[in-house]
This record gives sequence, structure tokens and C-alpha cells, in this order.
Amino acid sequence: MSLNMDRETSAFTFKGGMLPMTVMELTSADPEQIRAQLAGKVSQSPAFFQHTPVVLSVEQLDEPHLALERICAVCRAHKLLPVAVRGGTDPVKQSAWALGLGWFPPQEARPRAVEDTSLAAIEPQPEPQPEPAPASAVGRIYRGTVRSGQQVTAPEGDLVVVGAVNPGAEVLAAGSVHVYGPLRGRALGGIHGDRQAGIFCQELHAELLSLAGNYKRLEDIDPRLLNHPVQVQLRDDQLNISSLG
Amino acid sequence: MAKIIVVTSGKGGVGKTTSAAAIATGLALRGNKTVVIDFDVGLRNLDLIMGCERRVVYDLINVIQGEAGLNQALIRDKRTENLHILPASQTRDKEALTPEGVEKVLETLSQEYDFIVCDSPAGIEHGAQLAMYFADEAIVVTNPEVSSVRDSDRILGLLASKTRRAERSEPPVKEHLLITRYDPNRVTSGDMLTLDDVREILAINLVGLIPESEAVLRASNQGVPVVHDMDSDAGQAYADTVSRLLGEDVPLRFHEYQKKGLLSRMFGGGRR
Repeated sequence: MSLNMDRETSAFTFKGGMLPMTVMELTSADPEQIRAQLAGKVSQSPAFFQHTPVVLSVEQLDEPHLALERICAVCRAHKLLPVAVRGGTDPVKQSAWALGLGWFPPQEARPRAVEDTSLAAIEPQPEPQPEPAPASAVGRIYRGTVRSGQQVTAPEGDLVVVGAVNPGAEVLAAGSVHVYGPLRGRALGGIHGDRQAGIFCQELHAELLSLAGNYKRLEDIDPRLLNHPVQVQLRDDQLNISSLG
Repeated sequence: MAKIIVVTSGKGGVGKTTSAAAIATGLALRGNKTVVIDFDVGLRNLDLIMGCERRVVYDLINVIQGEAGLNQALIRDKRTENLHILPASQTRDKEALTPEGVEKVLETLSQEYDFIVCDSPAGIEHGAQLAMYFADEAIVVTNPEVSSVRDSDRILGLLASKTRRAERSEPPVKEHLLITRYDPNRVTSGDMLTLDDVREILAINLVGLIPESEAVLRASNQGVPVVHDMDSDAGQAYADTVSRLLGEDVPLRFHEYQKKGLLSRMFGGGRR
């Protein structure tokens, strides 16, 4: 009982969190110079400037007084939201607080050489970045005929086959399976349980279709759909095959 | 350096040995120094089809194991100049066929011959894989029926992955489709897959089409490769195949249903 009451009376809880944060490492205190560079970046990658929170780092600057208010205004004009300042002198800390920004102490024992002033330097960089984004969007592209006895797998993402999947062949993907050609073998999508995965092909004659463990055999497929372009989706644990033509 | 051609199929009984014998003979008749090797250890047949079964003393395994020299084992064909046969062993264990041994034999033969034709055993096991391993080109023999097509498809997958060329990332083995036992009448009546069905699934270059023919069985039993019988449709079809292998452009024959004319019905001519 008391537990319930506690829950009702508390308006929030504090939790620790590690959020990816873009640090804008300033190498100039001149608002006009910053404005000019930002204008160039916006045209290069407009998607990045969508009210993105940034931390202004002034560690590399040797100026005791900063036109912090003007710098913040320049940032906001380019749809960057300064949320805090890192480093700098005591007056810088005071003016950050006055502007309603947080202040972080300078990062210790950190390599000083930040020579890269290109876009990469201001782009969000979450620490573990195993692969560039385009590579994970499409797991694997296979060009050619998948022949009887061959197995082509995309353990991550989608599998795209540009060619035929012959009888006795098997194509598998963690995501969806796309076959630009006749599908005559076995196709299994969502092999790790992704229920959103689908199977797409230009000519359906599959021995077996499976999505997230639910399957249909050739025998179970409506003969009217055979040899037609189709898509296969999972609906209420049932494979739903519909014509794409 | 010789060109190494493997005749393979996966499925048994589709006409590998008949085709290997006919093609090797055809190549030799065109003036190419040719040797045909039987890789079917334990089930050797090539010597029978070539009509040299009574002259076999040593075989491929003897050579590999150093019990005989290559020249002792090679049998010179009686009818055709430039043609030699290297028979398989009927008694030995097929495990005696080692990759190193085969490589050495092929290398030696390569110095002297223009073409080395390897007659593969059926299946996809050791012997079949070894027959195709060193190949530059492959003739995939297929009958117009579903199980043969599926097995050929399997073999094509192996040719693309389990050959020396694939393992060394060299230009891939050149694949040729040879359709045998094709009967246009049965294709028309729907009993057999059509030429287009087979080509669509296997998706490789067609090098020849051999019609179902009495001449083939007769040739096998007589031990005379059918390509010698140039009066027969099968003999002509194999000769066409050899021409295409040599890079010539020859129109396809024997793939269309032909109504028998009155004369041929009366005199029993036409297909023999």
C-alpha cells in the first residue's frame, strides 16, 4: 500500500543517462565567422540542422570574455540549440548560467589536436559506430542465379537477389527478401523473428515461403498467384500473399 | 597448354560418357590432339563406349600411384588419329584418386595435347569434384526432365565454387549446356520439358542438343562413338556441338517436331 502511495505522490524520478551529444568545438570567438561557416554547413547537410542540441566547447579558445549571447543567437538562427557550454574562464561560466545554459568543466587529458574543421567535426558521433549507415540498411546484394544446393544469407538487414532463385536453393535474411527474378526455391525472411519483414519477388514459384517462423508451402499457395509478381507479409501469424501486378 | 573440359551432370544415366566419347572423338577428327580420361573409378564405362576395353592394361590409378608410366596407360584409339584414352580403374578404391596425383597427370598431358576431356562420374562426391576441379570449361549434360535439370543446377553451383579457378579467383569455368535425349515429339505432347524451360532455369550458354536416337544405343553397344555415324541425327548433332565448342556459329538442329512425309513413312527413312 505504502508503495502505491509513494508512486502517486512523486512527480518524477531522477535517472542517469548517457545521451549522444554533439559538441561544437569553437576555434574562433567571432560570431560572424561562425555564422559564415554554419551557413555553408546547412546547405551541405540540411538534415542535421533540425533543432539539434549542441554543447559549445570553448576549451580551445584563449579569450576570457566571449560574446556568448551572440554566438548562441547565430546557432539558433541555424536551428542548432545550444544547451550547455564546456570549459572557459569563470566569466564564461557566469554568462552561460545567465543565458540559462549549463556549464561543464573542461574535459581532462584529452588530445588537443582537433584539426578537422569539416562537417565530420560537428556531426553527432555516437561512440560505438560499427558500420556506416548505408551498409546496414541493405544487408546484402547478390547478383546472379542462386542454384540448387546453394544458400545465400543476409544475417543482418535485407537480402536482395538480382537474378533467379532456382528450385532447391535457399535464401535467408534477418530482414526482408527481395528477388528480382523468378523465386523457385525457398525464401525465409525475418529469421531472427522480425515480424515486419516481407518477401518480394517478380515471379512466384517458391517451394517454401517463411516469415518469422510462419511458413507456407508451394502446395498452400493460391495457384492464381503463381508465376506473378507478389509480396508476402505477416498478418495475424498468417502469411498474406498479394499480387504486385 | 591443353584446354581441360569436364563432362559432368550430377545425375547418372543422362549420357555423360556417351557425350565425352563423342566430343573427344569429334575434337580429334577435327585435327586436335585429344585425350579423354575416365574419372569413374569402380564403374568404368568409357573404355566400352570407345571400344578399347580389351586393350586396357594400366589405368589412371596405376599412374597416380606410380605403378605405371603415363604412356603405358594411354590407349591409342584405333579409328581416330590424335585420340588417346586414359581408362579408370575398375577394382581400386576411388579414394586412391588424389588431387595432387590428378594435377600431376593433367599437367603432364597438358604439355602434349590440345584438349583433355574428363568424363566425370555421377553424383557430387569426391570423384565428381576432382574431375571438375582443374577444368577450364565444363559441359553440363542435361536431359529435358526436372530431376536432371535440378542436378545440373547443383553442379553449376559447384563449378562456381569448388574448382581451382574459383578458389584462385581466376576467370570462372566456362559453362556449356548440352541437352541430350531430346524428343521433339514428346516435348510437343507435353511429356518433356521444352528447350526453353531448361535454358531458362539453368541460364547458361547452349552448346548442343542431341536428339533421342537409336543410333546412340547402337553406337554404345558396338563401341564406336556415335560421332562416327554421320548418317545419324545424333552423330550430326554431336559434330555440331564440337564445332560450337571450337567457336564456330552453327544453327541449332533437331529441336523441332517434324511430321513424317509420305515417302519416309513408306520407306522408314528419316530418323534412325
